[in-house]
Amino acid sequence: MVSREVTLHFDTSAVKVASRFDSIRKWLLIGVALLFLGLFILVPLLAVFSEALKKGVQLYFAALIEPNAWAAIKLTLVTAAVAVPINTIFGVIAAWAIAKFNFEGKNFMLTLIDIPFAVSPVIAGLVFVLLFGSQGMLGPFLAEHNIKIIFAVPGIVLATIFVTFPFVVRELIPIMQDQGTDEEQAAITLGANGWQTFFRVTLPNIKWGLLYGVILCNARAMGEFGAVSVVSGHIRGLTNTIPLHVEILYNEYNFTAAFAVASLLALLALATLVIKSMVEWKTQKH
Amino acid sequence: MGISICDVSKAFSSFPAVKNVELEIPTGDFVALLGPSGSGKTTLLRMIAGLESLDSGKILFNGLDYTNKTVKERKVGFVFQHYALFRHMTIFENVAFGLKVRPRRNRPSKREIKEKVHELLRLVQLEHLVDRYPSQLSGGQRQRIALARALAVEPEVLLLDEPFGALDAKVRQELRHWLREIHQKLNITTVFVTHDQEEALEMADTIVVMNKGMVEQIGSPEEVYHHPANAFVYSFLGRVNEITGKALSETTLRVTDLEKGTVGYIRPHEIVLKKTSEGLGMLVEVVHIHSVGSTVRMQLKRRDTDDLYEAELTIETYKELGAVSKGDLLHAEFNNIVVFENEPGTSHSLQEQTKFTAAFN
Ligand SMILES: Nc1ncnc2c1ncn2[C@@H]1O[C@H](COP(=O)(O)OP(=O)(O)OP(=O)(O)O)[C@@H](O)[C@H]1O
Ligand SMILES: [Mg+2]
Repeated sequence: MVSREVTLHFDTSAVKVASRFDSIRKWLLIGVALLFLGLFILVPLLAVFSEALKKGVQLYFAALIEPNAWAAIKLTLVTAAVAVPINTIFGVIAAWAIAKFNFEGKNFMLTLIDIPFAVSPVIAGLVFVLLFGSQGMLGPFLAEHNIKIIFAVPGIVLATIFVTFPFVVRELIPIMQDQGTDEEQAAITLGANGWQTFFRVTLPNIKWGLLYGVILCNARAMGEFGAVSVVSGHIRGLTNTIPLHVEILYNEYNFTAAFAVASLLALLALATLVIKSMVEWKTQKH
Repeated sequence: MGISICDVSKAFSSFPAVKNVELEIPTGDFVALLGPSGSGKTTLLRMIAGLESLDSGKILFNGLDYTNKTVKERKVGFVFQHYALFRHMTIFENVAFGLKVRPRRNRPSKREIKEKVHELLRLVQLEHLVDRYPSQLSGGQRQRIALARALAVEPEVLLLDEPFGALDAKVRQELRHWLREIHQKLNITTVFVTHDQEEALEMADTIVVMNKGMVEQIGSPEEVYHHPANAFVYSFLGRVNEITGKALSETTLRVTDLEKGTVGYIRPHEIVLKKTSEGLGMLVEVVHIHSVGSTVRMQLKRRDTDDLYEAELTIETYKELGAVSKGDLLHAEFNNIVVFENEPGTSHSLQEQTKFTAAFN
């Protein structure tokens, strides 16, 4: 009896020691992670805003409505407004095909979809130059018909579409695979046609995943630098997007303006994160 | 609606899932497709619904060729094995779906839809769940909602794929009765898939026994159980003991010209056990005894050949027999050995069933 009590006592204290050790370790890990995040993410973010607002709010807004900056903002919005819907529509179609049907070459298609992620954006841009540039394969044809793609808005849109294609598809495939085709088949046996099945059954089931993919796609479409830089030609007021404009301002030692414009991208990032966590919270609830 | 299935075949890549199936389902019939896993039951059911295409053959509805009609045109109600309820819709919206997707000109009004849905929910006795989501329902409740949803479009054929497959024994039992009642009330031609012979025997008017994509036998529960067309049907419809080779020729002296490899069958409850020999039994040792509800099962080992058999006794006969324990020796009489003259494999041709009364030395 006595010896049993002793061992019991001994056991609990051992557990206590272990749990105290665990909690030290836990806080140590959290601390390191926080320090890292603060150093590499939060500080730069704050630096962007403080640098942008250093010379006052007036200068900050002046930098934003300056014609070239304004043109860059508009171009960025236009690019995203074209690229995001296109990638959303084709992303849904591709994900639908891959997740719900069996066909030859499915793996090949999956590989193709991943290429924009695997390949450096600069290469992506170069590919378009090689295709549509004046020396490129389709160059003479385009020149003949007076169509300008490279060093013009269409090239920027194309490059952006290319780079941001995987976001929506990649987000949707696992969700759609997980859900299978049972509900769609049920809808069809109940007399629904293809559109009704898609809008009433498929879409509601993927809506949060889709929204998630769309905001990530949008963030990247607005922030893309490499591919766009190659095809843009950096014509001020015409073919500069926000990231390209920031670089130009920065290279001209116009720091306040550079950071002011950059702060827009930072705001976009913050907004994206807020929406993203809201979506995550929503999906967890369901 | 009567359904005729004429020489229907279907292969997945090169694997034949359904082979030359012929089946006539009269209007109002309650049919069970019964067979082991992979025997092509689901595939056949999906072909009737139009969810799967045919490689060859025809499917007629009321004598009209429906082979190339779309799922929508067939107007069948289909209940999926895992219910496939719309997870983002309430129970009300689930049941109303089939009515709401109708083209405007024959879509009922909001009020009519509401009335119809409540009527169906009353039929499946779940009216109080109208505002819940499928994830908030039990398995049995989901099953019933799936049925209500299928019935909402007033189908003339109801197809159910393992309707009670995922439910526990008690709920299954309740739902079986309940489905029969609904069938009686509505009298819709109904085909359901099951791999549970008890379920098929208990519920169906007609049982279609399938094996490896082919139909082995079609008949009433009595016919398939008491007059099985072949060894496969016999063994699939209940527990059996197989008696092969030497053991068989010894136990059935009257059979003189048995082919090599012939198998005799006897159901466990047909083995008669005695404590003293009456000149007819063979000596067996009791290896294991366990009782399941009102029956007692015994594992028996034949003394001379070491063959294992299973016997099943009612509690009453077990009591009559007197106390038996593991290791005891008993005399077993095999009174109803069944032999099929063509053996499994070629078993879809009609076979003669021969019964023997064993005579022992
Ligand atoms: N879509 C498919 N692609 C390839 N093979 C398939 C497909 N569907 C079914 N099969 C094959 O066809 C055969 C019959 O399948 P089916 O689903 O009809 O069997 P089942 O009798 O319903 O079996 P279970 O009781 O396990 O549901 C199986 O061997 C299965 O592997
Ligand atoms: Mg099946």
